[in-house]
Amino acid sequence: MTVRGAVFRETMLGRVRLAGDRADRPVRLDLLARADSLMLPHRTTLARLTGRVRIAGRADDPSAEGELEISPVARRRIRYRLGFDLDGRRMLLDGWKSVTFRHPLSSMTVLPYTLYEDGARVGEGTLRFPLATGLLPFLAGFRFPRAAEPAADRFLAPRWDGTPGRTEVWYTTLTDPASGSGVWLHHELVAPHDGAPAYAHGWIAVFPKEGPVEHARFGPVPWAGRKGGRSGRAGGPTRGWAGRRTDGWAGGRTDEPTDGPAGQTDDLTGDLTGDPAGRIDGFVAGGVRVAPGRLTGSAGPFTWALAEEVQGPPLHTFPRWSWRRPWLPATHLLPAARARYTGTVRHGTRELRLTDAPGASARIFGHGNARRWAWLHADLGGGDVLEIVAAVSTRRGLDRLPPLVFLRLYRNGRAWPRRVERTAVGWAGIGRFRADIGLPRWRVEGRAGLRRIRVTVTQPPDGTLALDYTDPDGSAAVCRNSERADADVRVERWWGRWRPEAAWRLSGTAHAEVGSR
Amino acid sequence: MSATPRALTGLAAAVLADDGTAEWTRTVPRRVAALLGVMPAPARAAVRAAAVAIDAYAVARTGRRLSALDAEEREQVMTSLAARPALLPLLDALKVPVLLAAGTERMRYDGAAPSVSTPGRAPLDGTPAVPTPPRSAPPESTQPGPAPSDPAPPDPAPSGPVPWQPAAPSPAPSHPASSPTAPSPTTPSATTPSATTPSPSTPSAYAPSAYAPEDPPLDCTPSSDWPARSTADAVVVGSGAGGAMAARTLAAAGMRVVVVEEGEHHSTASFGRRAPLDRFTSLYRDGGATVALGNPPLVLPVGRAVGGTTVVNSGTCYRTPEHVVARWLRRHGFAAAEDFATHLDEVERVLRVARQPLDVLGANGRLALAGARELGWAAAPLRRNAPGCRGSCQCVVGCPTGAKQSVQLSVLPEACAAGARIVTGARVRRILTDRDGPAGPRAAGVLARRPDGSELEILSPLVVVAAGALHTPPLLRRSGLGGHRRLGRNLSVHPAISVAGRFDRPVTAWQGVLQSVGVEHLRADGILIEATAAPPGMSSFVPPGIGRALRRELEQADRLATLGAMIADRPSGRVLGRDRPLPRYDLAARDAGRLLRAQRAMGRLLFAAGAEEVLTGVPRAPRARTPAQLEALLDTVSVRHLHVSAFHPTGTAAAGADPEWSPADPEGRLRGVHGVLIADGSVLPSCPEVNPQLSIMAAALAVTRRHVTRAA
Repeated sequence: MTVRGAVFRETMLGRVRLAGDRADRPVRLDLLARADSLMLPHRTTLARLTGRVRIAGRADDPSAEGELEISPVARRRIRYRLGFDLDGRRMLLDGWKSVTFRHPLSSMTVLPYTLYEDGARVGEGTLRFPLATGLLPFLAGFRFPRAAEPAADRFLAPRWDGTPGRTEVWYTTLTDPASGSGVWLHHELVAPHDGAPAYAHGWIAVFPKEGPVEHARFGPVPWAGRKGGRSGRAGGPTRGWAGRRTDGWAGGRTDEPTDGPAGQTDDLTGDLTGDPAGRIDGFVAGGVRVAPGRLTGSAGPFTWALAEEVQGPPLHTFPRWSWRRPWLPATHLLPAARARYTGTVRHGTRELRLTDAPGASARIFGHGNARRWAWLHADLGGGDVLEIVAAVSTRRGLDRLPPLVFLRLYRNGRAWPRRVERTAVGWAGIGRFRADIGLPRWRVEGRAGLRRIRVTVTQPPDGTLALDYTDPDGSAAVCRNSERADADVRVERWWGRWRPEAAWRLSGTAHAEVGSR
Repeated sequence: MSATPRALTGLAAAVLADDGTAEWTRTVPRRVAALLGVMPAPARAAVRAAAVAIDAYAVARTGRRLSALDAEEREQVMTSLAARPALLPLLDALKVPVLLAAGTERMRYDGAAPSVSTPGRAPLDGTPAVPTPPRSAPPESTQPGPAPSDPAPPDPAPSGPVPWQPAAPSPAPSHPASSPTAPSPTTPSATTPSATTPSPSTPSAYAPSAYAPEDPPLDCTPSSDWPARSTADAVVVGSGAGGAMAARTLAAAGMRVVVVEEGEHHSTASFGRRAPLDRFTSLYRDGGATVALGNPPLVLPVGRAVGGTTVVNSGTCYRTPEHVVARWLRRHGFAAAEDFATHLDEVERVLRVARQPLDVLGANGRLALAGARELGWAAAPLRRNAPGCRGSCQCVVGCPTGAKQSVQLSVLPEACAAGARIVTGARVRRILTDRDGPAGPRAAGVLARRPDGSELEILSPLVVVAAGALHTPPLLRRSGLGGHRRLGRNLSVHPAISVAGRFDRPVTAWQGVLQSVGVEHLRADGILIEATAAPPGMSSFVPPGIGRALRRELEQADRLATLGAMIADRPSGRVLGRDRPLPRYDLAARDAGRLLRAQRAMGRLLFAAGAEEVLTGVPRAPRARTPAQLEALLDTVSVRHLHVSAFHPTGTAAAGADPEWSPADPEGRLRGVHGVLIADGSVLPSCPEVNPQLSIMAAALAVTRRHVTRAA
């Protein structure tokens, strides 16, 4: 999973012979290519092209658009497909460099192409990349920005690769603004430590504003979803992934011809993401499913069908690398910082009709539950979100440490503190954030840079649900969760003295949880 | 053009006993040099080296080179050489290009035929001028449908050199209404072959342009005018029997099809304008000198033009025998052969296959029928795809009247009408593959080279390989798709020999249908005899002798009737090579026996037809005057002494159910890659035992139609 994309500019000069013309015309292309992934030479990368096309005396279109297929090794081809206007007619430039290692320079710089209008050939020509004047600007112009807005769906794919002793969670919490009720959907995959078959289970809980919390469990059922495992580790996981891809595609693809370029583009898209099949499946256990944009299922008297509209970028509560490289005991993230839910949750004879209910979905992957933990998701309004996980590991040695605090305040489009690790470990332990975990109230506070934060969470006893958790190794934990919690968040900034910068008070709309053993 | 080497000049003069009395012999060396120019380098070097060696022998013997000797001295040199039996095969091999050139030059100077009897006399077999079919012949049928109980005789198809006539359809068809669809022959101007002596400088003598009908339109684009980058839904490599049928099927299914052909497009009118040898050198790959190494070495001519070998075959159309289809299905698991009869029916309809009417059959065929009738053997005029054939006897260099429905006149026009386009003069170098697909390598198009060395690419998710059984394996190897250990193996070639009979009266075999009659008496034993004539010098039959003896044979060539026989062989060959094919073929012992048996049978047939003498084509035992003498003579002959030609290569990328044994799967898809279909003779699992045009076309139809159905 490449999180960085690539952006570069390319200028090519050449000539074109248009149908009806007696002589060639000079052509110049100034292109900007954007790819969502790094351009690995042995892979195929698809990039979006924008730029300007100039044909002397005939066309000057500054808003040409198209796509670029970059595959110098796997397909030995770098293909340009670019649409532009010529005298009010829509043209398609279709050409490719055929890379050969016998003539690396010429084959990487010469682009023969054909011009089409509505599928009919109307011209052809050749473009060349001017090595002498263009190479340095070309190389210097490369940028590798983070891939823009990675799709939230990609985080729905299971991470579990078949390794025993793992647990993986898809959970969703939301608050119905109309009734003030909270909803908690928990979907969990457990691969027991002893190698027993993995199973899936979970529950749904509704936290009415008035009245007791209701919940129902589903499962356990044998895990029927696919395995993930793109960790890059040697052995089983990698093979499992590769084999899965092959199987998945072999059945779905045929030799049938496609509509030429369009068909090939479809192929490319699949290859480019490197995630052809995994994006469409999330959690599945019996009739309970978590799919991109959709949560459905039933458990006991509960039946739910929710559509999820994600808002905002992913929010990594733990270090970003820990999702790709599962070296920590566990990791947690929000595929999207915020989400809106629409649909119904029926429980018994009652029905909760949701319309754009605020909430969020989150993902956990790791070895099991912490020794002690606290969690908060607070939708602060105006697009701001506060996410806190404070936990004590069960690992020997780490279990003697105070809770490590992972706090992300997503505000004004930026996450604070900038580094995730800052709140947990500070500077070699100095300046780390502190948590005081208890019930019904728990606190987190800390300072980073010129700001400090204090968060107080109160979970009302009558609005808190206690559930038993079971780790992959069979040990038990108790979780006390409330989707009707209160939260008090204060942010101060140092300016000669600590001055209040922002404060939020959430009453019954915070989502919180405390776990212990 | 560089000057003709002196060694070649001397060699031609010696072989033809040039005594200066005939004008046509003077230009033969130039023709030979031109012919060598289009041959592959090894063959060219071998001929030149042999010429130099003979020249050196002349110097050693007389102190002067051959070209400096007078006719008598040259004759002595050649006689002394021919006295050494070990040299006879070499001298025979040298005679072939010289005879090719001599035939053309003689035609240019003397008209169609040597100073011989004119046709139209009472036929030699005693039948009336328009003979009725012999008893043994099945009733004549002009229906395109399959001939029921019609065992298929082999078709020594482009049996190399054959006599041809000047452009005009020589014996003016005595039954002008032979075919309702025949191109309307405006008055066949009285350009009878031997009537006049056209000026040597008038090649127009070959061209009955007035008779050449307009060809159905084709969408041909020379590779120089085709863009360097283009896309299609399907690319078909090769426009021969298989490629044309594949293009037609895919285009009819609505796909954008591009056919890439290495050869050029030749119109019927252009055939009429050019001398047979000129057409020969441009229509055949390697100037017709494709050789399969082995024991014995074989000449394996294949065509190279829009239409492929169908442009230069004899037009004989045999349906695939039922037992062969059954074998393909049951033993090989070639699933595409299911319902093969339906596909054969469709192909026959497209090609307008019908039994050859007797009116233009020619004396050669009538003699074969007479001989078979005498012996009580089953024989009949062949079923051909030449409605309205006028007996020009030039099938092997392109039909000048447009009667033969080669695929560029029948199938490809339909493909083009459905939107297919043909790129000519583009040799496919590689099939492009995308190797990073999630399901393994996948075809992405082709890279082809123009004659000027520049390259063009066509992207397409489907590539149909129909380059012919000799060229498909090297193409796949060049493309990195040649990993299957059986690719290139399983080569069957239909080994063939020919025998001539001399009659007391002119036969003028080159007036009539080139391949006219099939004798099926031995077909159950894998031997198919076909009466096959050819334009002068182009027959695979090499007359005996050298010098004056050979010249005498040439002077009397009009009295010769020729038969050819081909055998159903074991797949004992393979195609090696990557940049160009290197066929290798070792005749199986069983097949050698069949060839010898075929030779005896042909000798008997000729004697039964009234031949005074049978010419065996074997240098060391050239002629027999009685059947008994022939039997005794052939007792001394082994297969190594025979002139063996070969035609119809098949089976080098065979389809079948066993993944270890068959490079292509039962549906004709190449294993190991997605999006590559095999649709030429190479996909046939085993020897079809008959002239394979219909078999190849039906297989291509089946393979591509199954693909279309699957895709739908």
